Amino acid sequence: MGELELGGLVAVVTVGLLLLGAPVAFVLGAVAIVFLVAVEGVDALDIVPNVFYGGLDSFALLSIPMFIVMGGAVASSRAGSDLYEALDRWLYRVPGGLMVSNIGACAIFAALSGSSPATCAAIGKMGIPEMRKRGYADGLATGSIAAGGTLGILIPPSITMIVYGIATETSIGRLFLAGLLPGLLLTGLFVAWGLIQARRPAGGGSTFRAREVGYSLREKLEVLPRVAPFLLIIAGILFVLYGGVATPSEAAGIGAVMCLALVIVIYRMTRISDHWEMLRASMRESVMILMIIAAAELFSYMMSTLYITQSLALWIADLEVGRWVLMAWINLFLLVAGFFLPPVAVILMTAPTLLPIIESAGFDPIWFAVILTINMEIGLITPPVGLNLYVINGIVPDVKLPTILWGALPFMLCMVLAIVLLCIFPQIALWLPDTLMGPSF
Amino acid sequence: MRWTLHRVVCWLSTLGGIVAVCLLLVALAAVCHLVFVRYVLGASAIWQHETVSFSLIGATFLGAPYVLMTKGHVNVDLLDHYVGDGARSTLSAAASLVTIGFCGLIAFLSYHWWWDAWAGDWHNESVWAPPLWIPYAAMPIGMTLLTLQALSDLLSASRFTLGPDAPSDDRASANTDVTREGRGPSQPTAGGSDG
Repeated sequence: MGELELGGLVAVVTVGLLLLGAPVAFVLGAVAIVFLVAVEGVDALDIVPNVFYGGLDSFALLSIPMFIVMGGAVASSRAGSDLYEALDRWLYRVPGGLMVSNIGACAIFAALSGSSPATCAAIGKMGIPEMRKRGYADGLATGSIAAGGTLGILIPPSITMIVYGIATETSIGRLFLAGLLPGLLLTGLFVAWGLIQARRPAGGGSTFRAREVGYSLREKLEVLPRVAPFLLIIAGILFVLYGGVATPSEAAGIGAVMCLALVIVIYRMTRISDHWEMLRASMRESVMILMIIAAAELFSYMMSTLYITQSLALWIADLEVGRWVLMAWINLFLLVAGFFLPPVAVILMTAPTLLPIIESAGFDPIWFAVILTINMEIGLITPPVGLNLYVINGIVPDVKLPTILWGALPFMLCMVLAIVLLCIFPQIALWLPDTLMGPSF
Repeated sequence: MRWTLHRVVCWLSTLGGIVAVCLLLVALAAVCHLVFVRYVLGASAIWQHETVSFSLIGATFLGAPYVLMTKGHVNVDLLDHYVGDGARSTLSAAASLVTIGFCGLIAFLSYHWWWDAWAGDWHNESVWAPPLWIPYAAMPIGMTLLTLQALSDLLSASRFTLGPDAPSDDRASANTDVTREGRGPSQPTAGGSDG
């Protein structure tokens, strides 16, 4: 059997075992071992513990649990509510200001927490009832928050980008910077669509009610000290990363400690049980990701040892399809994978195999990370996994899931538009890292 | 008897989870110390990098059984929505067997690997040069416990193996906290990975 046929068999067996419902990490590891033994013999097992352990033996991996702890600290405090309030106080006079406040709060909170469902929960709890009260259609109110929450995996610091950086050995600082402008672009597109819809009768325009209360300058200013420190931490992390001052793990560690200190000082979160609960949730999340990383290392080792990755890249190069046709197919594949699997799993499973193909087709791996991440964002608001949809449904159970889905659909099209724009203008992603850190090649 | 075994395994997994949280805190403290030593004192780091790596590895392997117990390892539960109860049980059993097979084999292989490190007095190639059997031990311990947890879950999920006095919610008796935690396997916690 040739390498390509073997690769096809690996794909079929992997999908088959995943459909059984076994954890992604153990499926990847099991497939790797079965094929290694089948092709190389039982002796191939000798190296397995070394490779599995080696997948975790890296200082850089620390940034994952540390950013998760940082996000957990922010998500477990009232920072989301303050952020929402701050934006609302400043933007309440702007036409459609509530929509801008909601999506803006989503973007900032998503950056702070790095978590889409946490963002949906934190901002949605206040934003959705307020929007409904003010006459916005249910679909628009829920869809905008579901989509706004997805920004967390694109706007830095993003766990998804860290995982991509580790899986493909690309600069995490550069990846973070690459996600910033596309994140703002997406935020802008979401806001634009939200405002267009809010003005239409079906979106609530005809029944739209103006806010009855106003805010004084003092009221506007008094909320800032509770929000500003968190934003400064994010700015500080980006500064030390692109300035090459500290490694992502060091920045994440200090960021985590500072966020923990802030929730204690600002939000008086002093109960040990609250901290323990947050640390326990962070541990679960981190261990889940790290276990997939270890298994994905074994999977990549098998694919490389059996010469499948290399043969696949050569085969695709020999096909001589246009590079954009290739990119369209890769996007479609990622989109479908994102429907069924969480972003981290998709990246760890596919990035090491896709990267040689992407590079040989002349695409920039940093730019591709942004495209891949936006694809994963779409997966977060589409069934069957569509985590954000279920979180929103949990907040407002009286709004049916199809209503949320239909409300989120136009925002999903905004993401597709963002992918198209990034394909036409790759500099949207590359300008910032290239300007601040120098060209990557 | 089987029931007691299930409780013991759940208790051990919970203990592993607590140790994993502590190891994450150790890693956090070590990286803060590293930053202080490197950027404030201007000295070079000696033990911090290895402490961080070993703590993370320990947290991953020792915390993984707890994550399995609380259904925190992501999976694809697509077919579950479209099949009947009987087929769902079969799928679940098959999925458990994949987990048991993989984790059991890794536990077996890593035990030998750990033994080589212990018997050969392997040390890390660094200035600090800590003995490697200590971090290596996390893998056989964690993977063995993972195997036991998966096996125990499989047995307790099977109605044929439950005794007449077995409670209907197995997890509730082992750890009441877990039922509150319980979420769909394909829904990771709101901590950040999904990002």
